[in-house]
Amino acid sequence: MGVLTDRGKATAYGIFSLSVLLTLWICATSLFQWIEPRVLPSPAQVIRQFAWIITEPFSGLRLPGHILFSLERWGWGVLTAGLVGIPVGVFFAWNPWFKTFLNPVFELIHFIPPFAYIPLAVLWFGASTATQAMVVFVAAFPAIVINSQLGVAQVEKIYVDAARVFGASPFRTLCRVVLPAAAPSIYTGLRIAISNGWMALVGAELVVGKVGLGFMIAQGQENASVATIFVGVITIGCLGVLIDTLVQRSERYVLPWRRVAG
Amino acid sequence: MEQSVGKMASGSTNPATEAPAKLELRNISKWFGPVGDGVHAVDDCSIEVKKGEFIVVVGPSGCGKSTLMTVGAGLENPTQGEVLVDGKPAGSPGPTRSVVFQKFALFPSETVEQNIKFGLQMTGVSAAEQEARLVEQLKIMGLELFRKSYPSELSGGMQQRVAIARALVMQPEILLMDEPFGALDAQTRTILQEEVQRLHREKHYTVLFITHSVEEAVYLGDRVVVMTKRPGRIKRVIDLPRDVIWKTGDIELAAEHPEFIEFRREIWGLVREEIVSI
Ligand SMILES: Nc1ncnc2c1ncn2[C@@H]1O[C@H](COP(=O)(O)OP(=O)(O)O)[C@@H](O)[C@H]1O
Ligand SMILES: [Mg+2]
Repeated sequence: MGVLTDRGKATAYGIFSLSVLLTLWICATSLFQWIEPRVLPSPAQVIRQFAWIITEPFSGLRLPGHILFSLERWGWGVLTAGLVGIPVGVFFAWNPWFKTFLNPVFELIHFIPPFAYIPLAVLWFGASTATQAMVVFVAAFPAIVINSQLGVAQVEKIYVDAARVFGASPFRTLCRVVLPAAAPSIYTGLRIAISNGWMALVGAELVVGKVGLGFMIAQGQENASVATIFVGVITIGCLGVLIDTLVQRSERYVLPWRRVAG
Repeated sequence: MEQSVGKMASGSTNPATEAPAKLELRNISKWFGPVGDGVHAVDDCSIEVKKGEFIVVVGPSGCGKSTLMTVGAGLENPTQGEVLVDGKPAGSPGPTRSVVFQKFALFPSETVEQNIKFGLQMTGVSAAEQEARLVEQLKIMGLELFRKSYPSELSGGMQQRVAIARALVMQPEILLMDEPFGALDAQTRTILQEEVQRLHREKHYTVLFITHSVEEAVYLGDRVVVMTKRPGRIKRVIDLPRDVIWKTGDIELAAEHPEFIEFRREIWGLVREEIVSI
């Protein structure tokens, strides 16, 4: 037991459970044909479809092209959500008046599902990048605001007092003391926002647009190609994991003092 | 014996004709929440700290010592009374009154160097001067090797050294210290008490020092202010001899000196009355 670290163990279990899943999949399809290929394609079929979509354009674009379009929309949505959401959250916590004033609006918006905005987005922006980006924004925004606000509200008063004693203006206290102290919580907010945004994006792409991973899945349905759907779904899942891992890893470089805190 | 101590105290009181005190808390009362209904933390406390004096405030925990200090630092406004520096209203907090907090309050996201330079940067000291003062403080507090460390990498004692360095680097006119050694282990505390004693003898800082330790009060103080339980009032002010041999050495040696023992007994008696009375 003592040979592996906790992290090593987690990786081992992860590999194990994925292998079990893959084995079951192979058994159910290629080996014993428990399930018809029309319902569940075999791994070999999916890999062939992968190779095909990577080399041959599918609805005008190869797989990397679809990925880039999805990433672009998602990126814009998350970026704007961060640029707007972090200041809003910070000021919610920093200035009680601001919060009292804007919170009811925020609460209301917060409970409208992101997909309810699709018709509005289409009317505003047509079938453009902005449409899906807006849905991503709506999905990502609340988590960022809430966690930024929490992060700032949780900063102990003694740090603010110390900053005042040593001559810091409120603005410099905010930048140099409060924001770094709130950063871990803001980071958590970003992580949630990033995954919420990613899910909302795929949803939006199913409904609007002519490119992107969500669109690819929708086309799979249209062409009755389960393998295409699988390619899309697996790509979406892997990219999601990849992005989350990158964000998680970046925390130790952006917030170096957290590394030593353990 | 208690009587003779009392006499000594009144004998060394300064005449009222002197220059205004460096820091004066005048008739400070503090309520948290509405007056008459909230928490009455401090009631009509007056303390004068003359230039170069080391005043120690002792009292049972919860009696309003920290409140008195935050008011003195300008971090809280008193409900009544005023805070004066050199006889003038002190106003908002600033680098003339440096503070060492009980829980260190070092900025966790900044290295030792950045923490110590913080106040200098906020007050526009030149980069060269910042560096020079930083190096001096690192040397004084024995922190040279920890310049690039984050607070979370340091022991409690080291963290408090950084906090003291951060306060001293401002070359403050007044140093406010709120139970600075309360969170430290006994050995570290002893060493830092001796260093603060030595610093005060060499540099004649003007200090308002808060503690619940009677021993610390007798060892460090030129004057000890005993507070009552909450709402904190001033129960007694006791002048201690300044230039006595036992204050120049180790605290263990000082604690064996008959004079020290007598002061400790007297002050402990006063504090004890407040703790046991209901
Ligand atoms: N910000 C605050 N709001 C309400 N009550 C407070 C606040 N700060 C201190 N108090 C109360 O005032 C009293 C004195 O506290 P404090 O000055 O911290 O005592 P001490 O430092 O002597 O232990 C305590 O009863 C405490 O609960
Ligand atoms: Mg206290």
